Amino acid sequence: MVKLTRDEQAMLEGAEGPLKRRALENVIKYAELVGAESLCPIRRATTFCGKHSYLNAAGDLNFREMFSRVQMGSDEILELAAIEPGCQTQSCVSPCETFEHQAFRQSKDLFAENQEYLKQSRAMGIVEVGTCSPYLNGWLPLPGEHFVTTESGMTILGNSLWGACCNSDGIEAAFWSSICGRTPLWGRHLPEGRRASIRVKIDFAPGEMLEWDLLGRAIGRKLPLHSQPVLSGDFSGADFNKLRQMLTALAVSSNCEICHIVGLTPEAPTLEAAFQGQDPAAYPEISLTRADLALAYQSVCDPGQGPVGLVSLGCPHYDIYQLQEVARLIKGRRVAPGVDLQVWTTLAIKGLADHNGFTETIEKAGGRLYSGSCPVTINSDYISGYSGILFDSLKQSGSARLYAAGPVYYGSTAACLEAAMAGEWKDDYRWKG
Amino acid sequence: MERLDIQGRGAIAGRVEGYALVCPESITGWGGIEPATGLIKDLESSNRGLSIAGKILVIPGSRGSNGWSCYYSITRVTGASPKGLLITRIDSSSAVAAVGLNIPTVVDFPAESDPCRLIQNGDYVIMDGAAGLVSISRAPK
Repeated sequence: MVKLTRDEQAMLEGAEGPLKRRALENVIKYAELVGAESLCPIRRATTFCGKHSYLNAAGDLNFREMFSRVQMGSDEILELAAIEPGCQTQSCVSPCETFEHQAFRQSKDLFAENQEYLKQSRAMGIVEVGTCSPYLNGWLPLPGEHFVTTESGMTILGNSLWGACCNSDGIEAAFWSSICGRTPLWGRHLPEGRRASIRVKIDFAPGEMLEWDLLGRAIGRKLPLHSQPVLSGDFSGADFNKLRQMLTALAVSSNCEICHIVGLTPEAPTLEAAFQGQDPAAYPEISLTRADLALAYQSVCDPGQGPVGLVSLGCPHYDIYQLQEVARLIKGRRVAPGVDLQVWTTLAIKGLADHNGFTETIEKAGGRLYSGSCPVTINSDYISGYSGILFDSLKQSGSARLYAAGPVYYGSTAACLEAAMAGEWKDDYRWKG
Repeated sequence: MERLDIQGRGAIAGRVEGYALVCPESITGWGGIEPATGLIKDLESSNRGLSIAGKILVIPGSRGSNGWSCYYSITRVTGASPKGLLITRIDSSSAVAAVGLNIPTVVDFPAESDPCRLIQNGDYVIMDGAAGLVSISRAPK
């Protein structure tokens, strides 16, 4: 039985309207299912607001019908209402770029329908931001702060790097929590739910960004399900972007929600601290070598060489310095005919890129700087419309191969840009370890 | 006909029976299944090409993106929902999926009763989501 506060009991009895009642009912069911004894307030959420492609299977429903039936699990069509006051909520990526649809072979009607979904979400109090990387715009939980998010990378980053508290939950649950301002007090929201459960020894120092991305996948493939790893090794080459790349790759390759790193993350000043005083030797240990990186690379980069039609950079969405680097690498050069070179970031960072001249440099070279989405979020038809595609992100490469009609390649940012100029992926661009 | 009874924690009440679909490596999130049909698209799944629709779905937990539960919840609307869920160990994503599906669910089995190990595709399963009791019948080969 979940213990409710007086305010929660009143909300459950309908004092704040049917939408909040339904959202709270769902959160309570979720809490009962996991065995939580109470709920905890949240003040920060990201939600998946657009007309995403998976929703098409539900039929031709308007926003309110779709929201009620799919997100709230209600056969009754609910009156829409504002999200919980004080819960700072923003939208994650949508299936459409912020301004363009023709470049993505999307119809005007589809774009307009997505705009309507976003407009209705804004009317509920959700700020339209359209990014997987909310921290780039100042959406930053404090240590110990409870939050919900629809982005796997944000979940594991928030827990691991910032000591904030979040479970993976899901797209529906992020709406429930944003509306009623509560989530089950369970899992990563409790101190004991954050304890490491396995030791991971890394016997090499990861170097370039791609190796950190691969490391995340290599760990994820070796971890038993439900693991909470603590990593030991030489992480002196780490920076924020390398860590978010690695942690995002780890999250989508497993169901890991928190990853401690000895000497780097706040709950692991020592190996012992990550186990909260328990003997680390009592827990299992796995080791990774550079051979594991090679296996991870083979799993996300198809063999051989060949033409590429789409080269996409920026997953997670690039920060301003990554855009500066792309501009530096591409300046004065020209993308090959027939290649769509896309660079993805947030709308706010794009504004900075415009101001700093990076956008102009990228566009002069034949590339485009986009915001609000990414290729694998757009839809499966879009991905399958290319015969060869290339990413500098393991997450994109891993998801795109579910829909791709041709080879999916994966390389460093510099290798991707070289391939965009050449119009083809060559063996020379492949990561050699 | 061999028969085995195992006990987990009853999570969502209801008695249901049907043929099992066992995914010991779970199913990846964001695109791992087709919402309209329940077909498994996950390239790393041993059940790729089979459908979860109308089955007793047996999984160890979730795997992959936070966009995991939504692919199950929507099958409640499309009609491609499984009949029942057996989850070796509950986690946040699979719990949200179970709430969204609102079908009989049994979770948190003891290590010696792991349904992913004891049940095979095509076994006939009778499950009680309130009591947490699962009866498995296997036709002789």
